[in-house]
Amino acid sequence: MGGQGIERREILRYIGIASIAGTFPGFNKWAFACSQNHVHEAVLAVAHASAAPYKPLFFTPHQFQMVEHLAEMIIPADDTPGAKEAGVAEFIDFMVANRVPVSARRDVRSTQDAIELGNEAQNRFRSGLDWMNARSKSEFGKEFMECTGEQQKSLLEELAYKAKFKPTTESGRQFFQMMRDYTVVGYYTTRFGLESLGYPGLRVVWPSMPGCPHPNDPEHVHLQAPGATKVAAPSGAA
Amino acid sequence: MPAKTFDVIVVGTGAGGGTAMKLLCEAGLSVCAINSGPRTDPSKDYKLHRQVYDLKYRGYGNPMRFAGNAHQEPYSVEESEYSEGRDLFEHDVAYSNAAGTDWYWKRCKATGGKANFWGRSSARYGDIDFKAADLDGFGQNWPVDYAEIAPWFSKAERYMGVASTVQNRPSNPDGEYLPPMPWRCIDYIIQKGAEKIGVPYLPDRCAQLTKAHNGHPACHYCGNCSRGCDVGAFFSPTWFTIPDAEATKNLTLLTNALVRSVLVDESGMATGVAYVDRGTKREVQVNAKVVVLAASCVETAHIMLNSKSRHWPTGIANSSGQLGKNLCDHLYGCPGYGYLPQLLGQPATPDNIADSTVAWMPRWQNLKNPKEEKFIRGYSVYMGGGCGEFPGHYSQLEGFGSEFKRNIKRYYPTPVGALIQAPSLPSAENYVDIDPEKKDTFGISQLRFHFQWGQNELLMWEHAKQVMIDLFKAMGAELWGMDDEPNRPGTSLHETGVCRFGSDPKTSVTNKWAQAHDVANLYICDASVFPSPTDKTTTMPIVAFTMRTCDHVLDNFKKGVHKRA
Repeated sequence: MGGQGIERREILRYIGIASIAGTFPGFNKWAFACSQNHVHEAVLAVAHASAAPYKPLFFTPHQFQMVEHLAEMIIPADDTPGAKEAGVAEFIDFMVANRVPVSARRDVRSTQDAIELGNEAQNRFRSGLDWMNARSKSEFGKEFMECTGEQQKSLLEELAYKAKFKPTTESGRQFFQMMRDYTVVGYYTTRFGLESLGYPGLRVVWPSMPGCPHPNDPEHVHLQAPGATKVAAPSGAA
Repeated sequence: MPAKTFDVIVVGTGAGGGTAMKLLCEAGLSVCAINSGPRTDPSKDYKLHRQVYDLKYRGYGNPMRFAGNAHQEPYSVEESEYSEGRDLFEHDVAYSNAAGTDWYWKRCKATGGKANFWGRSSARYGDIDFKAADLDGFGQNWPVDYAEIAPWFSKAERYMGVASTVQNRPSNPDGEYLPPMPWRCIDYIIQKGAEKIGVPYLPDRCAQLTKAHNGHPACHYCGNCSRGCDVGAFFSPTWFTIPDAEATKNLTLLTNALVRSVLVDESGMATGVAYVDRGTKREVQVNAKVVVLAASCVETAHIMLNSKSRHWPTGIANSSGQLGKNLCDHLYGCPGYGYLPQLLGQPATPDNIADSTVAWMPRWQNLKNPKEEKFIRGYSVYMGGGCGEFPGHYSQLEGFGSEFKRNIKRYYPTPVGALIQAPSLPSAENYVDIDPEKKDTFGISQLRFHFQWGQNELLMWEHAKQVMIDLFKAMGAELWGMDDEPNRPGTSLHETGVCRFGSDPKTSVTNKWAQAHDVANLYICDASVFPSPTDKTTTMPIVAFTMRTCDHVLDNFKKGVHKRA
């Protein structure tokens, strides 16, 4: 495991205990940095002990910065926190370093498969980030991170939208797809991501299963337009 | 290990073995239950009420965790980071696949077995299943009909607690039910769509306690069922049969004891079993008057095939040559998934807090006439969807940025998908045998699978894909796609048939009481006796047939067929 293994395990242990106790409403930056307002004291104590800037396990500092920036472009902060605040870049670095098959192109049936697919993901990330820089140089004469926000957006758009695909950018599209997979998984497996969806499973004890609230409209063709009425959150969420 | 002779040895503590040891202990017999792996301790082994972000690898698990093990493939769903590090699943003993076979054999070796993590769908079989051969001319009938087994289904349901409704469908006999799970938005929409294309959509028979039952608490809907229950609010040996058996003080439970063979005397009758102690790797023998095998379907056949002696040169009780034959499974796969535009942008609803199949499409094909379709018999479909643990639908949505993020939320309540449950037909090509060369870490010859999907079940698969196209249209839904291929055989965990029961000793391994034709003191209490699969799941019927078999065992003790130790 990477150099921060012990601290991370400890923090996760505390998070586990705290969330069972129902006293841990949120956390900031997966297991690495914690926002003072929200955090159990035990977590804070450990977090302060390792409050130094994050040292990537796999990426170079420059690559890490780029991954963090791309993740935030994919899941930006708006009315809910974005990828950066949710620690998605740290997640990606950890998963890639540890060869966890987040976006594998085949089943993992053995440790050897895991190593091969893990190595493949590492290579795809390295070469993908290089591809992005090469593309931005050829399009705008500078590396991706030096481009303006508009330029960066246009570079991603030609990889993200079918209507803007170009025949020469296939490897870039593959990289973008993988980057998006890791980002979405990294974001929606944090409390921020799950809360942004209203994930009902954040509450773990229900007195009964609430059924459909509109059984008199079984086909659900007359539902109120979203936002027409403010719907109250379930009460008593643990 | 104890030199004493027990009345009964029960091999395996899952749905069948757990039920057998409970009933036999409660009748006053001395029982030695032998379990392959460690004891399951829910308070330590299930990391429940945790969120995915509490797990170091966000649920993926450490990819290197099986380095050095004989069997390194993780088992999906049941085995996850939620139980990682607890050694509940079999990774020490490998199995082999013949050329062209890709069987996925998921094994939970801890006490309670796979029934700690099962899906809880619990429909009764009916005469349409037991007498299928009479209807369509294929294969053999079961040696038991509905009238004979119905009281045992009732006993099993009363003990386990099954939630459903009375539906009056001849193909799906009704049972004794707890209140059903309430329907979700998706269920109402699916039901209306299904109605338009003439397909039933009805509450499933779900062994999940919608109210407190026999001292077990009602479900608290934490949604973690497939990772094991922390309070026993659905039937599992760990919370039901094992504590019941232990309360009698008649139980000796051996753990980490991997049974290698059934031992026999001069006349070929069973005298006990030999097992390997996983800790010491030494072989140990236990004696009993009666041996019950309930090691899970194919493992029971594995033990029997490995029980070779002068009397039984091809495996114990195999004078019929049927041991290991007739391997069947449910073909699983997703014949269609997509989304319901009606629910776009609606607030999140707690659709999956019961983690269960609230409703399903029970078999509707070949009911009026057994040959109305291109295939014989029939299949069922489970539907899932709504707000889940992860917004996997993101992969259907284009783009990035705030609009992409908004769309992920907007589509969150909308996804729906189908799971087909299609029974394979018994075939001479589908069987298990002993690998002539490979042995496992403990020196036991490995089991080898020979299995291909047959034409009948593949026709069902094609049929289901067409039905889903029609259903999605009828629901006003959009279809995103369907699986190219069905899942690998073994995925369903519903293997059957390798020790089939029947009336004729020449063509079956056991009689209708699941007592070996050749060896009167050897019984089988798992799905290996089921001669052909149905469109329904296996666990509740395993419990019901085990109850009936145990009644017969006790009767034979009373009549003196078996002597007490």
